[in-house]
Amino acid sequence: MPPRKDADYMDIDSESDASIPDDDYGVGKSKGKSRAKAGDRRKDKGKAKAKENQPYTWEASYARSWETVQEDEAGSLQTSVEELLARGRRRRLLAPAAAVRRTIIRHLILLLDLSMSMLDRDMRPTRFDLMLQYAREFIVEWFDQNPLGQMGVVGMRAGLGERICEMSGNPQDVLKAISERHKLEPAGEPSLQNSIEMARSSMSHLPTHSSREILIIFGSLTTCDPGNIHDTLDSCVKNRIRVSVVALAAEMKICRELCDKTGGQFGVALNEGHFKDLLFELVPPPTQRALTRAAGAGISNPAADLMMMGFPTRLPDASPPSLCVCHSEMKSEGFLCPRCQAKICEAPTDCDICGLLIVSSPHLARSYHHLFPVKPYEAVMTLENGETAAPECHACSRPFPTSTSTTAGEGLSPVGRYRCLECRNEFCSDCDVFIHDVVHCCPGCGK
Amino acid sequence: MNDPRGSHLSVLLDLSPTQWHLSALPSPANAYPLSLSSFLSQLLAFLNSHLACKHENSLAIFGALPGKSVVLYSSTNPPNVSQTIDANSYPPFKLVDSTVVLRVAEEMDNLDDPEEEEPIALVGALTKALCCMLWDSHLQGHQMMPDPRILILSVSPDHATSYIPIMNSIFSAQKLKVTIDVCQVYGPETVFLQQAAHLTGGSYIHLERRDALLQYLIMSFLPPPSIRKILSVPTQDRIDFRAACFCHKTIVDVGFVCSVCLSIFCQPVPVCSTCRTKFPIKTLQRLNASRPLPSTTAVNNTRSDHRPNSIRSKCTNNTEFQPTCSIKWYR
Repeated sequence: MPPRKDADYMDIDSESDASIPDDDYGVGKSKGKSRAKAGDRRKDKGKAKAKENQPYTWEASYARSWETVQEDEAGSLQTSVEELLARGRRRRLLAPAAAVRRTIIRHLILLLDLSMSMLDRDMRPTRFDLMLQYAREFIVEWFDQNPLGQMGVVGMRAGLGERICEMSGNPQDVLKAISERHKLEPAGEPSLQNSIEMARSSMSHLPTHSSREILIIFGSLTTCDPGNIHDTLDSCVKNRIRVSVVALAAEMKICRELCDKTGGQFGVALNEGHFKDLLFELVPPPTQRALTRAAGAGISNPAADLMMMGFPTRLPDASPPSLCVCHSEMKSEGFLCPRCQAKICEAPTDCDICGLLIVSSPHLARSYHHLFPVKPYEAVMTLENGETAAPECHACSRPFPTSTSTTAGEGLSPVGRYRCLECRNEFCSDCDVFIHDVVHCCPGCGK
Repeated sequence: MNDPRGSHLSVLLDLSPTQWHLSALPSPANAYPLSLSSFLSQLLAFLNSHLACKHENSLAIFGALPGKSVVLYSSTNPPNVSQTIDANSYPPFKLVDSTVVLRVAEEMDNLDDPEEEEPIALVGALTKALCCMLWDSHLQGHQMMPDPRILILSVSPDHATSYIPIMNSIFSAQKLKVTIDVCQVYGPETVFLQQAAHLTGGSYIHLERRDALLQYLIMSFLPPPSIRKILSVPTQDRIDFRAACFCHKTIVDVGFVCSVCLSIFCQPVPVCSTCRTKFPIKTLQRLNASRPLPSTTAVNNTRSDHRPNSIRSKCTNNTEFQPTCSIKWYR
């Protein structure tokens, strides 16, 4: 398939984890693993070569990816496979630890391609079904990590932009909007301009301290626009809307330009797993530094503001039922807006009556880990003989591996130990990733 | 209940020597004194009944000591001790009982006197419990055990500086669908643990009759979450999501939040005290104009005594959920 080559090339530039399998990718699939390795290799090469401006993967020397996979004493590939997995996961932790300012209050419009090209079966079962499935997972994860964010959905179908879901802070609303498959049946050609304009207009009223983002999942290779799409691009730049594109077919110049000029990310999905990776890379809040750089230096107001928020009282299940303002249903439980005393079903949201932003204090706390992450652990390179090394992982009490692995890479400990710089406790690679990805606090020092 | 895998229970023991000493002292304020040893004997009966419910049930016990956290017992990694055969005891029960008692005594003996002043490492124990669960789920082919839960037996009051780490571990438990049950055996109500139980769908019990500890444990915490839907287990009814402002620690229902660091203020301020961000003057004017309650526009009021009584009275009779994150935490 011709677009595939292109996609491979894209992978180098997009800096993404090329086809590193997800955790839920079965361990038994050694084929997938060797592909992952190939991806690793290619990426490392690509980084080096990118500086020399070598444009194409097929001009790079041939990587004998299978030779790096070695059997252990028992003749099993299991250890190699686990090592590759650990390496892939750990790479995410090696991001720069410098202080960055992240946008906490996000507004995102998800632009779904609903054109005929989405019925292509190169991704199983079809691009369309896969997109819907991943979009659902994306929405759940996005709201989990961005509790104060709001999301809307716009579809591109038959040359029109179609509003599928209004901007909402409730994941259930958004999920419900894309749950009915038959209403989203693909048809016709997509129009990037129409749908971006629609997304832009629905975000034009938003305050400056919040981020405005558009995420396009694009499966087509064409766009049919009524006017000049570069005008739309300019207005996106002017409105500081960040456009990110996950393409399913191949790179298009206009998509790449949209992302580059607005500070978004662009990537072409190689396969199903890579598609998910690309999508989920957009879940954590973007840094604001990137935004200002992309939008030019002419911004006098450093996107900071004071916001008025209301902290509601939650009514217990046993309280007398009353009508809620959002659905007009009789309900016992709910939240009371502190300003107008209206009863709202869900928090966080905007009060339907007085427009006050309603949040509960746990929602604010949920965002704190983006602002103050756990410091990365250092990989223990050798076991000091003088020091009595801990026999087991400090977190899960599992004994550390006794053998030393031969293939040590960047940031990968040959003895499988990772040490917290604050409390000097040692952790296994599984716990290291779990602590940094999920728990966000160190079991040793509690920070 | 028909799941062949049984349910997993992690128990977190708060082993603060000072608090247990206070708990054991009979005084007018402490009508039902409870010593650590009688607590342990009741707890062991509870643990045995959990193991007795089903053969596949698994158990892990963690201790939160001042400044450190330890694993006291884990059924996936049982200690290798030679036991004397006793005709009157069931060996698995005896293993748990003797290990827990021995380990608690060991750890308590190891404590130095100055260490007792440190806050207990509840966060460490909680994250360890989560990491162990993750590892157990790896053993079972990346599947979480059904109904995993954590029971926290706490005697210490809230420690304000650990607010963020505690909340982070609560959110990760929520993400892993782990239920957190809390039993406050001694001391004041803890708002952080109340939030933990609320957010993960567990139950929070503040023990009034400490002599009935075992009954409370068995009636409310023995059934796994799937069965609790049928039973009537005590839950919290009033939950107040109001927050305390960072500037005066007053409870506010409408607050002003910095968009950069999410600090909460009770009135519009020109500069964020936490991250030193300056706010545009236009916003200040707009917010001052639209404040819900008329008050002086000056932003340098140090006290909010001038607030109308309606707010103050509302603040007092509710349980407060305060993100009392101290400012030094941000440094």
